[in-house]
Amino acid sequence: MIRLEAVLKSYHGRPALRGISTHIERSEFVFLTGPSGAGKSTFLRLLYRAELPDDGRIVVDGYDLAALPRRHVPGFRRRLGVIFQDFKLLRRRTVGENISFVLSLLNLPEKEQQRRAYLALKQMGLHNRLNALPDELSGGEQQRVAIARALVLQPDLILADEPSGNLDPERGHELMELLKSINYQGTTVVVATHDRSLIEAHPARTLALERGHLVRDAWGAQP
Amino acid sequence: MNLHGWREVKRQVRESGAAGVAAILMVAVATAWAGLLWTLHGWVHRELLGHNQASTVVAVLRDPAAATSLTSALEARPGGRRFTLSRPRQVQAELAGWFPELATVLLALDEPSFPAILKVEAAASDSASLATWLAGRPEVAVVKSSTQWQERLERTLRRVVTLGFVLAAALLGGCLVVVLLVVRLLVLDHADEIAIMRLIGARERDIRLPYVVLGLALGATGSLLGVLALLGLDLALKASFPALALGTELLIVLPLGGAGAGAGGAAFGLLAIPKEP
Repeated sequence: MIRLEAVLKSYHGRPALRGISTHIERSEFVFLTGPSGAGKSTFLRLLYRAELPDDGRIVVDGYDLAALPRRHVPGFRRRLGVIFQDFKLLRRRTVGENISFVLSLLNLPEKEQQRRAYLALKQMGLHNRLNALPDELSGGEQQRVAIARALVLQPDLILADEPSGNLDPERGHELMELLKSINYQGTTVVVATHDRSLIEAHPARTLALERGHLVRDAWGAQP
Repeated sequence: MNLHGWREVKRQVRESGAAGVAAILMVAVATAWAGLLWTLHGWVHRELLGHNQASTVVAVLRDPAAATSLTSALEARPGGRRFTLSRPRQVQAELAGWFPELATVLLALDEPSFPAILKVEAAASDSASLATWLAGRPEVAVVKSSTQWQERLERTLRRVVTLGFVLAAALLGGCLVVVLLVVRLLVLDHADEIAIMRLIGARERDIRLPYVVLGLALGATGSLLGVLALLGLDLALKASFPALALGTELLIVLPLGGAGAGAGGAAFGLLAIPKEP
C-alpha cells in the first residue's frame, strides 16, 4: 500500500526526514511515533502529497507521488481519508456542509450526500450540530467532525496526524477503537502520535522517528 | 456546478460587499453608455447623414444662356434624374429672401450679376459621378454636392464616436479590473480554505468555478441594469424622438459583454491562487 525508498526531505536546508525507507502492507495498522520535530507530520504530508520529497521515491496505493501529474492529485487524495492535527475544517461552511462537500466531489446526489453526512456525524455523536459552524464547536467536537469527514468516503487508506490530541482520554480510546474496527474491514491506517499510552493500549506495528531518522520498526510501544 | 458551488457563490456575493456593488454600478454605466452611443450612432447614420437618401448636386453656370444645352445634355445622360434650373432673377429673389437685411441691395443689382443655378437630385451612389460630369462641362463654373458636407460631417462624427467607444471600452476595462480586484481579495481571504479544499481532494474546477460565476454574475447584473436604464430612456424619449430606436441586438450584446468582462476579470483574479507543489 505504501512504499518509501530513501526519502529525503528538508526545509530551508534543515533536514526533516533523512533517507527513510519502509513499506506498509494493505490492511495494516501502523503507529508513527517520536518526539515533537521528529518528522511525523512531514512523513504524513509526503504521503498525501502536500509535499514532494527532495530525493527518493514514495508509492502510495500504486501512485508514484513524485511522478504524479498535478491534475491527478485531487483524484488520488479522494482515495485517502486524512485526519489533520489542526482539523482543517472549512470555517465558512456548516458542519453538515463540511462533510457533504467531500461527498459532492464524488458527484453523489444531494439527498445521498445529506444522508451519508448525517450518518457520519451520528457515528461521532454530532448529528445535532449539523447546522453549526466549526467555530461554534469545542476543539474536541471539531476534531470529531474532521474524523467524520475523513471516514465518510470509506477510503482505502486513513492517515491520522495526532487524531486524539484534542480529545479527552476516553474519547481518544474510543477513536482508536473506531480506527481499529475500520482497519479490521481492510482499510490501511497510519496514525501519527506521541501518546505512548495510546500505543500501549492498542498495540500495533510502530515506526519510531527521531530527528528525521527511522530508528525503530517493531510491534507495540518502545520498551 | 453542484449545490455546494452555488452556496459558495451566494457566500461570495455577500462577502464582496461594497466592492461588488461598485463593480455592478460600473458595468451598468459602461453598458448604458455603450448602448446609448451605439443608438445615437445608428440614428445619425440613418437620419442625419441619410446615406440611402437622394443627394443634391448644385452647378453654377458661367452663362445663363448655356442652360438649355446643359439641361439637354443632362437629359441625354443615362439614368433619369430630377433637376430644377433657377434663372438669375430667381437666384436674385431667393438670395434676397435668405438675407432680408441685404434685400434692398441685392434687388437693386442688375440681373446679369447673378448666375443661373442648376440643382440636380441624384441617388447617393450616383452623386460623385454626376458632380464629376458636371465639373467637366464647359457651361459650368462651380459644382458642389451635398455628399461633400455629409462626408465632412461623417468624418467628424466618426472621430467623436470612436472616442466615445474608446471611453466605453475603457469603462468596461475598468469593470474588468474592479471584478479582478474583488475576486483577488476574496481569493486571498479564502487562501486557507482553498488549501484545505485541495487537501481533501477538490479539483481546481470545484475551487475556481464559483469565483468565475461570481464575476459573471456581477458583470451580468450590472449590464442588465444598464440595459434597463437604456430601455427607460428609450421609453421616455419615444414620443419626442421616434427615430431614436434602441436596437434589439443591443439587448443581447450588452449583457453578454458585461458578463464577459465580469468572467474575464474573475479569471484574471484567480491568478492569485497559489499553485500546488
